[in-house]
Amino acid sequence: MFRLPFLFIATGLALFGLFNLATLLQASGWILQPPRSPSGWLFAHWLILGWATMIAMGAVYQLISVVLQRDVFSRRLGYVQFGVYFAGVLGLLTGFGFFRVQWIALFAVLALLGILLFVLNIGLTILQAARWNPITLSSATALLYLLLTGLAGFLMGINFAFGLWPEWHDPLFFSHIWMGTVGWFGLLITGFSYKMLPMFYLAHGISDRLPRIIAWLWNAAVLAGVVLFLAGFPAFGFGLSLGLLTLAVYAYNFYITKVRKARHKKNPGGGIRASVYSARALAVICSAALALMLIAPDLAKDERFIVIFAWAYLWGWVAMTILGYLSKIVPFLWWTHKYGPRAGKEKTPTMGDLLDDRQAAFVLAGVGLCLLAVMVGLGMEMAVWTRWSLGALSLFSLYYAFLIARVFAR
Amino acid sequence: MHLKPEEIRELLREVYDPELGVNIVDLGLVYEIRNDDGDVYIRMTLTTPGCPLHDTITRAVERLLEGQPGIRSVKVDIVWNPPWSPDKMSEEAKRQLGFFG
Repeated sequence: MFRLPFLFIATGLALFGLFNLATLLQASGWILQPPRSPSGWLFAHWLILGWATMIAMGAVYQLISVVLQRDVFSRRLGYVQFGVYFAGVLGLLTGFGFFRVQWIALFAVLALLGILLFVLNIGLTILQAARWNPITLSSATALLYLLLTGLAGFLMGINFAFGLWPEWHDPLFFSHIWMGTVGWFGLLITGFSYKMLPMFYLAHGISDRLPRIIAWLWNAAVLAGVVLFLAGFPAFGFGLSLGLLTLAVYAYNFYITKVRKARHKKNPGGGIRASVYSARALAVICSAALALMLIAPDLAKDERFIVIFAWAYLWGWVAMTILGYLSKIVPFLWWTHKYGPRAGKEKTPTMGDLLDDRQAAFVLAGVGLCLLAVMVGLGMEMAVWTRWSLGALSLFSLYYAFLIARVFAR
Repeated sequence: MHLKPEEIRELLREVYDPELGVNIVDLGLVYEIRNDDGDVYIRMTLTTPGCPLHDTITRAVERLLEGQPGIRSVKVDIVWNPPWSPDKMSEEAKRQLGFFG
């Protein structure tokens, strides 16, 4: 299986490159706009739907057979899903770019249909596999939250266009963000990591007990937030769910420590190390955010505080983990396609030969440092500093995308 | 002239796990090798069930041996019992992986 994951991953990489190019071309101006503005919506959805979700879908198609030990329900449906989702995302981004409400509405439906087809295809694969363990539990609930995120976004769009339920806009908005970021990305990353991390560290004999606890804690964090947002208690909802999420993140970090203690491979690669460091950083960020909210509960309503936390979670952990995992996923995808059929007949390179690991590690360290600078700039409200930091972040990200894309030429 | 099992084992050092960069013999993946008048049977395992390199490594073993003189057929049997464990690795494999178990 090469073409289907390749389609998603190559498209996601291209959209990531364009995202960073657009940021540079407009001198990072969008970061100073309010997050709830056409510019904020455009760049947020570009990164989340165009890049992160596109890559995540490709990775799921590639890794589903590894995780479930059976092939995806329907490859053909996968291709249809790619076309529908890609068209929906492109149209939606164009709609945000020119702020055409009709376009946003039309293509949001198409993007939602693309998500629905993905959930159907992977959901049926999981059901057929009927192997209920922390990996499938996390993946299945991640899929559910992806679908609900899309539905909440769609309802917000309807509400925005026709003004049917103005009082529901904020509850839907908070739920949409929480289910998408913490639910979909959080559970997908942790779920797949239960398989990937032991594989890359060559760690054996890790029990399922801790991953099971993490999966339940993570789900509790998502559900507590959504229920309280919809019930009209956004500040309490954010506080309580952040507390549960912090517990889940600590448990996840403890799991990583267990894997590293049981490892038999010293160096899993710079990308995997970066994803581990980002998980450590997420524990610090969650603890700090929780402590600040306990001292000053009003921070739960403070837009600047929420935006900084969102940057830390989404860029600091989700994006860093995706970038890190790409350093393994892409060489594997390309090696099995190009060199797999030659193995045993002639000398072939190893996967490590396809990507300069030291360079990748260096660039990811640059991404991390620039992100820290962006967050400091946002926190201190230093406009020029923030724009320069985001510009530097985009340059490092572009170079990393180039390093990954270059694998396909080896 | 048929290859002896130990000669086949030496040949199998040409097949690598491309992610780990270590050959399958040093990794301790090969459990049994038989050669019955040119019909070769290999019983082996992988480092983890659902290993993404399942088909790649199996086919590499078949391709490598099918081209050898005196070999008529190759059957590769992937088994999960006994499961692979790190202590099955050779000292060379442990050295390559920076093993400290």
